[in-house]
Amino acid sequence: MTCLSGVRVLDLSRVFSGPWAAQMLADFGADVIKVERPGRGDDVRQQGLRVKDAQGRETKETSSYLAMNRGKRSITVDLSHPEGQALIRDLARHSDILIENFKAGDLARYGLDYESLSAANPRLIYCSISGFGQTGPYRHLPGYDPIFQSMSGLMSITGHPDGEPLRVGYSVGDITAGFYAVAAVLAALRHRDVVSGQGQYIDLALLDAQVAAVSHVAMMYLVSGEQPPRLGNASPITCPWQSFDCSDGQIVVAVGNDTQFAAFCRVLGMPELAEDERFSTNRMRAKNQSELVPMLAAELAKRPVAHWQAAFQEVGVPSGPINGFAEVFADPQIQHRQMLMHLPHDEIGSVPQVANPVRFSATPIQYHRAPPLLGQHTDEVLTEVLGLDQATLERLRRDKVI
Amino acid sequence: MPALLSRIRVLDLSRVFAGPFASQMLADFGADVIKVERPRVGDETRYHGERVRDGEGRETDVTAAFASMNRGKRSVTVDISRPEGQDIIRALAARSDVLIENFKAGELARYGLDYASLQAVNPRLIYCSITGFGQTGPRSGEPGYDLVFQAMSGVMSITGHPDGEPGAGPLRVGYSVSDITASYHAVVAILGALYAREAGVCSGQHIDVALLDTQIAAASHVAMQYLLTGVQPARLGSGSHFMAPYQVFQCSDHPLVILCGNDAQFRSLAKALGREDLAADLRCATNPQRLRHREWLAQEIQALVGTRPRAEWLEVFRGAGVPCAPIYDFAQAFDDPQVRHRNLVMSMPFGPTGSLPMIANPLRFSGTSPVYERPPPGLGEHTEEVCTNLLGMPPERIAALRREGIV
Repeated sequence: MTCLSGVRVLDLSRVFSGPWAAQMLADFGADVIKVERPGRGDDVRQQGLRVKDAQGRETKETSSYLAMNRGKRSITVDLSHPEGQALIRDLARHSDILIENFKAGDLARYGLDYESLSAANPRLIYCSISGFGQTGPYRHLPGYDPIFQSMSGLMSITGHPDGEPLRVGYSVGDITAGFYAVAAVLAALRHRDVVSGQGQYIDLALLDAQVAAVSHVAMMYLVSGEQPPRLGNASPITCPWQSFDCSDGQIVVAVGNDTQFAAFCRVLGMPELAEDERFSTNRMRAKNQSELVPMLAAELAKRPVAHWQAAFQEVGVPSGPINGFAEVFADPQIQHRQMLMHLPHDEIGSVPQVANPVRFSATPIQYHRAPPLLGQHTDEVLTEVLGLDQATLERLRRDKVI
Repeated sequence: MPALLSRIRVLDLSRVFAGPFASQMLADFGADVIKVERPRVGDETRYHGERVRDGEGRETDVTAAFASMNRGKRSVTVDISRPEGQDIIRALAARSDVLIENFKAGELARYGLDYASLQAVNPRLIYCSITGFGQTGPRSGEPGYDLVFQAMSGVMSITGHPDGEPGAGPLRVGYSVSDITASYHAVVAILGALYAREAGVCSGQHIDVALLDTQIAAASHVAMQYLLTGVQPARLGSGSHFMAPYQVFQCSDHPLVILCGNDAQFRSLAKALGREDLAADLRCATNPQRLRHREWLAQEIQALVGTRPRAEWLEVFRGAGVPCAPIYDFAQAFDDPQVRHRNLVMSMPFGPTGSLPMIANPLRFSGTSPVYERPPPGLGEHTEEVCTNLLGMPPERIAALRREGIV
């Protein structure tokens, strides 16, 4: 049993946010058909590190592609070819959801926009993901993750207080948009099946999505008119809430309430701090950070990370080491949660995957397919879904339509 | 047209962040969200951070943090540590489709409000637990906040200035990205489970969402580099592991982000810079080559970009289809013509201040509009309404519960 058994997704998207969203739907059990350009395929197949097979030989597969395409079937179709467009129209007739991230207006030239496809399949849920949205002065501009990290205000609040704005080290803007896409299509699917009987069009922009994701910080600006400062690893509203240098490395401490602060002070051997009226409530601590933090830092610097980590765990003070990925996947909690898994892969032998973190009790995530090779399922899908015969497939391949 | 989640009721026992942000999304989609808070105290975010000022500039007791993630909900105060309070929650759960909670693992079982107990009352209930470490495992009972999971997931290890540069070292993302990431997973999981329930695949179920797991999953495209090579990806400041050029350049007046997602865009960039020779140079014809010669290439580009002001370059690059962007603070972001066109900032009528600015839900549906009918509620603002209309309690009973401090 899976959440989305019987739901078919036609995924025309490339690179990141769209494929990420489609992978989530695949994890949830949908039949995801990934449509790629014949010959070259998704741009992301050329990005990231090349993966070596068990014999150490470099394969064509890249880390970026393998991170967001499991559970899908890949078919190659040339969208600029009229016959290719006809194939997509036929597939859309047999699909519940379509995801695309072409530049606004691009697919209309091919007769593959929402209007055209909903005429053939009024139940289709059509989600367009673009950098700036389908409307507005920038609608035609291309965009990638850092554009939206910088334009959403995210970079302006990331970095050291006295340093320059910094980018988040992963493509958080793409991922954010991916989530909104999944939430949107799932809600629209439910609405179609339970309320309206009709599909609809969803216009999702990376810029909009990332602004919404940082809204809790943006609200500080909206209500005060003042730009929240960059705080390095500290927080404007909670203290202590930052990284500290221990004698052998760094630890982060996130004290969320006054009880935890009292426990924290006891561990540090400074119980009097919790009584001090400058620090007794979170509001006062946040206000008097510059006085409080140096006192704490001096004490924490005296002993190693492991000592503090164990002591804080014991009394329920939220804390953790700053992990590199080696430590991430060696952590007993993360291992217990089976966040790392492997799928069999034709080229590589076995491909590591970061598991879907959602644990359903009744519809557990099932992993049937590794990220597909380019066009691996073209014949299978076109035969199964559209009933094309071998001769037609051969002709289409000869004509470079598929 | 009825809203996306019309007739769906969400019982929200969560506090602080990941849970409330998730239930706000469900409220935007039109669900009836009942926010349960501790009598007299309420959600901790009612006390955290910047306070909203009213029309006369006076501080109100509403915080920006609370206001940013609690619109569209009804607030009901119930003391869940008291048996009668627990009865109220059970009665509400019997009339709800979804329950969201973020207590420490095991805590609600003590009150008979865990999934097993409530499933017995309502088998169709979708019960989503959001915790730091998950419902199982050696650290499952521990508290945790955003920063801990930014640190433990590897996200901080890949964010910050490169080693050897001033300010080097792991850095926190400037917003509570791990909370938000867990919220998104909770929302999609709940919507998936609702769909499965209504399609007849199964009845209700339990969903176990952990901030640690979800943040690792969100950064998995970078983690995959480590998994496939065993080498920790370096911190690159504003640079990228995957593309070059892809970073901040300094124009003669302001910084500008420039990047090329494919070779055609790089040829456009080279042309726009008047350096068509670069497009022909073997060191930068393809993305893998440009990545290898990233530093040299950045110097070549910087030398030209530094000669003219940002406004000029923006026009040139946008005309040429080269992805680029100014680095905005919030004032600039909300003043941007595109952001304004998309109506991302909206205003809701709001008792304490007259009106409240909010960031709109970014989803634009053709058939169903987001529902913005309720501003962030006052503590317990809807206790009577819910107890009366939903549970059919007579006024005397509500008054008695109030006297005893149960609601």
